[in-house]
Amino acid sequence: MKIRVDLDLCQGHGVCVEEAPELFALDAATSKVVVLEANPPEALRAKLAAAVKYCPTRALRLVEQ
Amino acid sequence: MSVAIPRLSGGVPLLGHLLELRRDPVGLMQRCRDECGDIGELRLAGQSMVMLYGEDAQEAFFRAPEEQLDQAAAYPFMKPVFGPGVVFDATPEQRKQALRNRSLRDQAMRGHAQGIAAETERMTASWGDAGSVDLLDFFAELTIYTSSAALIGPEFREELNAELVPLFHDLERGTDAIAYVNPNLPLPSFRKRDRARRRLVAFVQSIFDRREAEGRESKDLFQVLRTIKNPDGSPRYDVTTITGMFISLMFAGHHTTSTTSSWALLELCRHPEWMARVVAELDALFADGGDVSYQALREIPTLESVLKETLRLHPPLILLMRKAMTPFQHKDWVIEPGQMVGVSIAVSNRDPHAFRDPQRFDPSRFEPGREEDQRIFAYIPFGAGRHRCVGAAFAMMQLKAIFSILLRRYEFELAQPPESYKSDHSKMVVQLAQPCRVRYRRRAELAS
Repeated sequence: MKIRVDLDLCQGHGVCVEEAPELFALDAATSKVVVLEANPPEALRAKLAAAVKYCPTRALRLVEQ
Repeated sequence: MSVAIPRLSGGVPLLGHLLELRRDPVGLMQRCRDECGDIGELRLAGQSMVMLYGEDAQEAFFRAPEEQLDQAAAYPFMKPVFGPGVVFDATPEQRKQALRNRSLRDQAMRGHAQGIAAETERMTASWGDAGSVDLLDFFAELTIYTSSAALIGPEFREELNAELVPLFHDLERGTDAIAYVNPNLPLPSFRKRDRARRRLVAFVQSIFDRREAEGRESKDLFQVLRTIKNPDGSPRYDVTTITGMFISLMFAGHHTTSTTSSWALLELCRHPEWMARVVAELDALFADGGDVSYQALREIPTLESVLKETLRLHPPLILLMRKAMTPFQHKDWVIEPGQMVGVSIAVSNRDPHAFRDPQRFDPSRFEPGREEDQRIFAYIPFGAGRHRCVGAAFAMMQLKAIFSILLRRYEFELAQPPESYKSDHSKMVVQLAQPCRVRYRRRAELAS
């Protein structure tokens, strides 16, 4: 699986960082999301799904390969 | 090369389509869709408003930056409700900062779930084994307590009582679209709005006075705002401004959650097969006597689908607006600076291109395999894009907490003919039209 980010929509709320700190961080300068692991391991699927679901601006997508 | 935007028929001199907007806003917006297609212009008094329809045009609307499509200028009816210096009187950058509200974050929400469940228990404590309740009265009061406890603090919540309910009602009823002509016309609903606001200021002042007299050490948001000083030592915010902040904090989450709770319960009563599924789901989830915890509320898929379907068919906001600050181009059409731009949630949520059998109440459209809410620029009860409701997750959690209590304690049935329950669309803030009563009976296996 892959993470797709829509930076146009991201407003830096940081919910993804709280849901999956292994996968996301916020850029200090732009306040926008930074993906730490573009191809996350299967073990993090549930956390990634929660980050996608709870993103306030729906800026994240989980894409199956 | 730009193409002329089709104009909607009808309307009257001077007021344009304003009277139709006040009489039947959803009908007006659907008519514009049917007559004009993906884009159509209508007139609200002297103001031109261009409506955008369909996923493509709506995506362009929701992606536009604040500098191009501005929110503040589009909602003149909210300024007298919030007052000076608050929300739509602040700069885009100030609003953006304020939106990252910590109380809506995941960590803070963990504490809110049990509090909301407890408020629901408290509100129903006097119900007895059977009776009937007016949904607007009940949920409007409940959500004032839950929102204030979660967003401002439990101490502040304890200082509130049922007297506040009619004041909020008057503020919400004070959002007549006639504000596009002038938000201060001498109308009864505007006079009530302004009186309710004055009373709320006096109420907030009395809280500060009492805290001071009792020498109480308060640490909630209210007290923090009160202690912020200007460089010269004077208080940064006066009581009027703090009251405005309180109103604005409450406003977004109050009538919206109240109305959605009412419609969810009504739709469940109208669709017993879904009521049975949701009750079974809740009974199983809490079978071990577990608390209504944050984590428990995250996984209630059937109830969640019912709530999503309720929000699709009965969105508490029906129209989102912006004002064009720079030319806004979509395909061959150009919207000029000064024109308003609108997207109708009510029309989009029933768009047959995005939803199968759109008029039908069918929560299974959100279940795995269909997931019609993945079309994020068509399914828009919380808006979309950068301005998407920042409280959406909080709202869903709150609704689930409320129903986790209500549906495990009581059975409900309609107390009126099913088609008599209606939304009142005469104001920009949608409410359930009264009367809207349902009957309740304590569940047999739980009868005391």
